[in-house]
Amino acid sequence: MRVLDYEIPDTLCYSREHEWVRIEGKEAVVGITDYAQKQLHEIVYVEVQKVGANIEQFQAMGTVESVKSVSDIFAPVSGTITKVNEELAESPEILNQDPYGKGWLARINLKDFKNDLKKLLTAQQYADYIKEMEK
Amino acid sequence: MSKSPKKTHLYEFHKQTAKMTEFVGFEMPIWYKGIIPEHMAVRNSVGVFDITHMGRALITGAKSEAFLNYVTTNDVAALTPLSAHYSNMCNEQGGIKDDFVLSRLEEEKFLIVYNAANRSKDYEWLVKNSKPFSVKVEDVSDSIAMFAVQGPNAEKTLQKIADLDLSKIERFKCGWTRLEDVESFLSRTGYTGEDGFEIFVWNSPIENPTNAVKVWKAIMETGKEFGIETCGLGARDTLRLEAGMCLYGNDIDETTTPLEAGLSFVVKLKKDAFIGKDALTKHKAEGIKRKRVGLTMLEKGIPRPGHDVWKNNERIGHITSGTFSPILERGIAMAYISIQHATEGNRVAIKIRDKLSEAQVVKFPFYDPAKYGHGRQK
Repeated sequence: MRVLDYEIPDTLCYSREHEWVRIEGKEAVVGITDYAQKQLHEIVYVEVQKVGANIEQFQAMGTVESVKSVSDIFAPVSGTITKVNEELAESPEILNQDPYGKGWLARINLKDFKNDLKKLLTAQQYADYIKEMEK
Repeated sequence: MSKSPKKTHLYEFHKQTAKMTEFVGFEMPIWYKGIIPEHMAVRNSVGVFDITHMGRALITGAKSEAFLNYVTTNDVAALTPLSAHYSNMCNEQGGIKDDFVLSRLEEEKFLIVYNAANRSKDYEWLVKNSKPFSVKVEDVSDSIAMFAVQGPNAEKTLQKIADLDLSKIERFKCGWTRLEDVESFLSRTGYTGEDGFEIFVWNSPIENPTNAVKVWKAIMETGKEFGIETCGLGARDTLRLEAGMCLYGNDIDETTTPLEAGLSFVVKLKKDAFIGKDALTKHKAEGIKRKRVGLTMLEKGIPRPGHDVWKNNERIGHITSGTFSPILERGIAMAYISIQHATEGNRVAIKIRDKLSEAQVVKFPFYDPAKYGHGRQK
């Protein structure tokens, strides 16, 4: 769905810190939302923890920087990083161009998604959350 | 109680076209199209900035030269009418109260343009120190609008609406002109490293924005053929950083001296008594222990203010400004580091979050001055 100026795909889960999660079997693909990339604007640097790193839900798993600002990326789920999007090191602007596609950040081998899910938002809930913030 | 932020003459225009931010009590545009395209427009062609938030004061009277020579570090006697120079005001300890551009309008009339963050501090300092001199210090910040038109096509852009031959105005010279038939003063100065002008739309009170808006719109119109961009505070910061220019509050303040900051070219120790002279003379004789340097990243990562600088397992200083350079497409920074390490070419490490990343001491500006900046080869 599209809310205000922001794309919010119906099939994903979201965190209040503006990360998205797509489940693929035992793994999750994660990234930052269209809202996040539009707020950051002109992303010039992305850093994600290395493959093999164990991360806990809502703990910092990386950093994204625009020309002026530095923001933490919080893991929307717990687990082990199995892959990071290497392309972002050379072309961080992909995060602005395609946040839900080519701009994915990492793949995470899920530890306890059932539990994580309780603290995530559906697309509709995230849309309401954005609307509330933009008021 | 927090006061609501002040607005400039162009507030309505900015609000509709820019992402806004509050900066030292003003609601200002941070970017319109984006920091990078605005930055590149200034380096490659032309950009226009609303810098009305800057502080401005007029100093008039027979003793104004003597007064300004006492309160500032540069040689005011060397300023001929309709010229300008960059200068500092120091406290008695030699710490920098502010940096600014001083223009001599007439033999006994000067215009000082200082940092927005220091508007009241500077005005009060000037008034306080003016007592023994028979001069008038008048805060004109709210009655003059101020724009900067910067970039290699700045002169061509402005010439079409100016009734003065701008090619006759050399760098750091000034003149009176009508811009789109509005009385204005301009100086060939700026905060980007590029050629360009700073424009003062005279008699333009905030309450009556008509003249300021008229000049701004005319500049946008004549700049169209050069692809002019309206530029916000974001690009202003990346441009000045690439040029190696200080930002007060970040790179200089009352705890740093002009000698440490690499600004000794504006400190004339041979002139008569001025505030901070004794301290700076002693400081020079003893030798500085740290120095402001430029650092260019040799690895990925963006240095930011507060990051520590290391060499051989020893902390040698810290970053005061840092950003992503759109021209170099890598991280750049200004830092104060121990003098023994402040040699061009020296490799140091910057602690960005928990990781040490390699950087190199470079001279200012960060860009190649043969390709960019006011001294570029045409």
